Amino acid sequence: MRALPILRRFGTLIGFALIVAFLWWRLPDTFMTARNWLNITQQLSMLTVVAAGMTVVMVMNDFDLSVGSMASLAGIVAAMLFSLGYPIWAAVGVALLAGLAGGLFNGVLVGVIGILPFVATLATMTMFSGAAFIVSGGKTISGRVIPEAFGNFARQGLEIGPVTVPNLSMVAVAVVALVWVLLEQTTFGRRLYAIGGNLEAAHLSGVPVRRFKLIAFSLTGLSAALAGLLYASRVASANPTQGSGLMLNAIAAVFLGMTMSEEGEPRVLATVLGVLILGVLDNGLTQMNVDSYVRQILVGSIILVAVSVSALSRSRRS
Amino acid sequence: MAVPLLELENVSKSYAGTPALRQVNLSIGAGEVHALMGENGAGKSTLIKILAGVVAPDSATIRVDGKAVQIEDAASAHRLGLRFIHQELNVVPALSVAENIVMAQGYPRRGGILVDWQTLNRIAKEALERLGVSHIDPRTRMARLSTGDRMLVKISAALLSSDGAPARLYVMDEPTAALTREETGKLFAVLNQIRASGSSVLYVSHRIDEVMTMCDRATVLRDGQSVDSGLLSQITHDDLVALMTGRTVSEAYPPRLAEPSGKIAYDGHGLTVRRGEIVGLAGLSGSGQTELLRTIFGSPARAWRTGAAYVPKERRGEGLALGRPIFENITLPHLGTLSLGGAMLMPRRERLFAADRGEDVRLRAASVKQSARQLSGGNQQKVVFAKALSGDPSLLLLDEPTRGVDVGAKFDIYSIIREMTTKGMAVILASSDLPELIGLCDRIAVMRSGRVDTIVDARLTEDALLNLCYGRGPNAEAA
Amino acid sequence: MLKRILRTSAVVAVAATAGLTASAALAAKVAVITPYLAQPGTQFYVEAFQGVAAEKGWDVNVIDTQGDVAAVISRIEDMVTQNVDAIVINVDPAQVEAGLQVAADAGIPVFGMDAGANPLLVTNVTSNGYQMAAETSSYVADRIEGKGNVVMFIFDAFPPVQVRGVIARAVFGNYPDITILDQVTPDVSDGGIADSRAKMEAILAANPEPGSIAAVWAAWDQPALGALQAIEDAGRSDEGIVITGIDANPQARDEIAKGGNFEASVAQDFHGIGAATAEAVARVLGGDTIKQRVTYVPTKLITVANATE
Repeated sequence: MRALPILRRFGTLIGFALIVAFLWWRLPDTFMTARNWLNITQQLSMLTVVAAGMTVVMVMNDFDLSVGSMASLAGIVAAMLFSLGYPIWAAVGVALLAGLAGGLFNGVLVGVIGILPFVATLATMTMFSGAAFIVSGGKTISGRVIPEAFGNFARQGLEIGPVTVPNLSMVAVAVVALVWVLLEQTTFGRRLYAIGGNLEAAHLSGVPVRRFKLIAFSLTGLSAALAGLLYASRVASANPTQGSGLMLNAIAAVFLGMTMSEEGEPRVLATVLGVLILGVLDNGLTQMNVDSYVRQILVGSIILVAVSVSALSRSRRS
Repeated sequence: MAVPLLELENVSKSYAGTPALRQVNLSIGAGEVHALMGENGAGKSTLIKILAGVVAPDSATIRVDGKAVQIEDAASAHRLGLRFIHQELNVVPALSVAENIVMAQGYPRRGGILVDWQTLNRIAKEALERLGVSHIDPRTRMARLSTGDRMLVKISAALLSSDGAPARLYVMDEPTAALTREETGKLFAVLNQIRASGSSVLYVSHRIDEVMTMCDRATVLRDGQSVDSGLLSQITHDDLVALMTGRTVSEAYPPRLAEPSGKIAYDGHGLTVRRGEIVGLAGLSGSGQTELLRTIFGSPARAWRTGAAYVPKERRGEGLALGRPIFENITLPHLGTLSLGGAMLMPRRERLFAADRGEDVRLRAASVKQSARQLSGGNQQKVVFAKALSGDPSLLLLDEPTRGVDVGAKFDIYSIIREMTTKGMAVILASSDLPELIGLCDRIAVMRSGRVDTIVDARLTEDALLNLCYGRGPNAEAA
Repeated sequence: MLKRILRTSAVVAVAATAGLTASAALAAKVAVITPYLAQPGTQFYVEAFQGVAAEKGWDVNVIDTQGDVAAVISRIEDMVTQNVDAIVINVDPAQVEAGLQVAADAGIPVFGMDAGANPLLVTNVTSNGYQMAAETSSYVADRIEGKGNVVMFIFDAFPPVQVRGVIARAVFGNYPDITILDQVTPDVSDGGIADSRAKMEAILAANPEPGSIAAVWAAWDQPALGALQAIEDAGRSDEGIVITGIDANPQARDEIAKGGNFEASVAQDFHGIGAATAEAVARVLGGDTIKQRVTYVPTKLITVANATE
């Protein structure tokens, strides 16, 4: 009985430590190296940005299925503007604005019209995806129309002594830091958690719930667009479906993170640990030559185990 | 005395070494409405769970009709004729009353396939009539029924679910917690019907007045022990309170400390409230008390800024984020002034502030970092009060502030309300508990069909107030 | 690039002779990374590649990123971390250049398996689009005995298909009695069958005389199928209009096997591409250098004689 609360709070963390220890043991020369970890942070940068943004709406007990489509759309918008000869700053700016606007639209649907987030963002998910296809004509935009500097951003980094910290990793860390400050250190974040805790009580306590939903969904849309741009930079191209894998992984990462908090609320640093679990498994199991499909089953099982342990200990307690 | 219907002897139960029940005794006769009383945490729920077969006692002797029995699970409790009406009513709102009543039995069929609606509705109607309930049409959707009527339907369903073991003892946990006065009246009529039919009721409640009116005998639990048991006709209200709380209560309502100052704090919607005054809102349920409070409160964000505070009716649904820490609940409406420039949190300052405010309302909690969920009902309500009072409001709006709160916490809350008026706060208090209105208020506004009908001095009798609620003169013959 | 490969090969050779490193003593480690493993063509490449690799005793790791192109970069990085001996990709190299650069910096050779040409690849093994178009256009010219009107279906916006049109035009232009009646670019949003059929119906209506259209040459199979439907619907299948496509997809093979107007298409040798990629890897691991940026694998003309093979 006494072990249970500990297992619930720290089970996922212990699980992560075990995974790292296992991979270190099986890959003694290559896994626990600065270079590999920098690789992992770079590989996870896009997912981290989306998941951090997803955490913002999930704090309010909402979620956003449209982030993957938004990431694709943002990449396509930027690439189309590149092909029309616009400078990088303009194309990136417009793509980010598209993310903000798409997120705001989600916020209006959920917060003002009052549609369930599942339904609203399922609809906008297909809308954004359709828009990406229309803008791009269904094609992958690549090659010379993508400015070299844009593609190079994802290949370069800041040299600190012997290591080069990738730009993508630094962007992800910056986004996480911003979201952390926003959620944990500001009255805005506190009120978001209050909305998630009890929407009616928050409303009666003077929290402008509607406005907060608009802002929160806008931020999620913005982060999705940013992730889409990072993706486009990494592949130096844009494709109308390239962000679609991000959505489910982002939700999975937030859920993994939620198993680590007292009342099961999302915390951005816990989300980052969720992202790391997914990414370290991908990195390590690939290095161990584990079949891609077996890897998927393993990842799914780990999510189930973590959430089950958390759910069981919670129901036992009440 | 005849052999009791149900006897419990030396029931003990510990959770992880902490005793919840110690050698508790309880004896219920046939055709008796027996009250089980005690403050939150006294062990009432554990005892009920043991009866229901949900929790296994460490030791216990249970006898039905003088014969020793074992209650191993819910099914064996059912076989012994025990029926449980829970506080949270498990009904299916989308189905009809009749379907909800008959559900556990299985529907009557025509040709083995089609539902025989006629028979179904007849069975349900008969079940309701056996309880003397004639105002509920079995074909109505459950969703359209009031909470009180839902409870009556639930009791009918329990009555009907015999399966060869007829219902003999109904265990009702706080049945009137969410009921209005008229609904409570209907419930009592049903309880009388049950008593007349020779079945018994174990009636779990905080409400001393109700227990005194309805029940024959009472058993009082305190700190997991049965402290006394006896006929209610031989005991006074105050004695009962003393038994439950373990201290003598000279008065149920704290004395008035200040005279209203005369300056008008609120004027509108047919109400004038002076500083330091408590104005009650009385009326039949659905007469618009909650709506009036909400209208006066207006837009929450603006209201808090302009010095109004609101304690809503549903503590869990509207008052608290149960999963959040106590201090976050208390400071939520006041973050603007408790943060750096209204933007950056200062958690340490918030916690100190919340701890102080918790102390003001005699909040009992290990730490303000605890989640509100971990508190008892009374302490949760104190958190709601601390939240409301933290901005030093000039107008306090209270909607059923003591609903589901135990006697001790209730007295604390009354004292807090009184204290606040001495500081010049104006209070508008809506309550379905007429003694509470009479004991606490300076004046009482009686509401009828959404509007304030009359305003009277609070020094009147309960019957007079009730007559006013029904739109009769104060001295009319009681219904 | 060449220098780098030479350097790698030299290092491998030295290490092998000296017998100093464990990896030289063990089987060569080769990673095959693709986002498209679920597609039939890719499966054929990979199976054939694994077949050759098994003979050579390599340790092959096939990684499917399920449509995620950025993940291909991530997995290339992981394989570089593992210091594999060679990497094979089946994705547009321009999109994974970030990963190719990492591999190049580590001196690990990367091969394209029907990927696209790129300076960071040792070589890209694929079919020759010029050759495929030459096969079908010369088939058409021969069948209509060097004279008559030909309708062409082309798609110049997509470079691999554009090159096919270039060759067909050259071949038909070489016959003085062949006239290119029309060059149609169909709408390809649904693959091209429906719009090609509509376009062909219009052309048939404009040329009602029997024999006024001798042949339809299509740069890929879908327009050929659309043209076939239009001709059959117009009741003109007995005029001897010759239709050819390219790619020899299953539907095209079925039509060719029936012996009707759709007479020929060209099949890429997916197995051959996979096997040739493995051979290219083997050459480089053995210390050879490969000069061709692109390695072509022969294609095969499909007619009624071999359509059901």
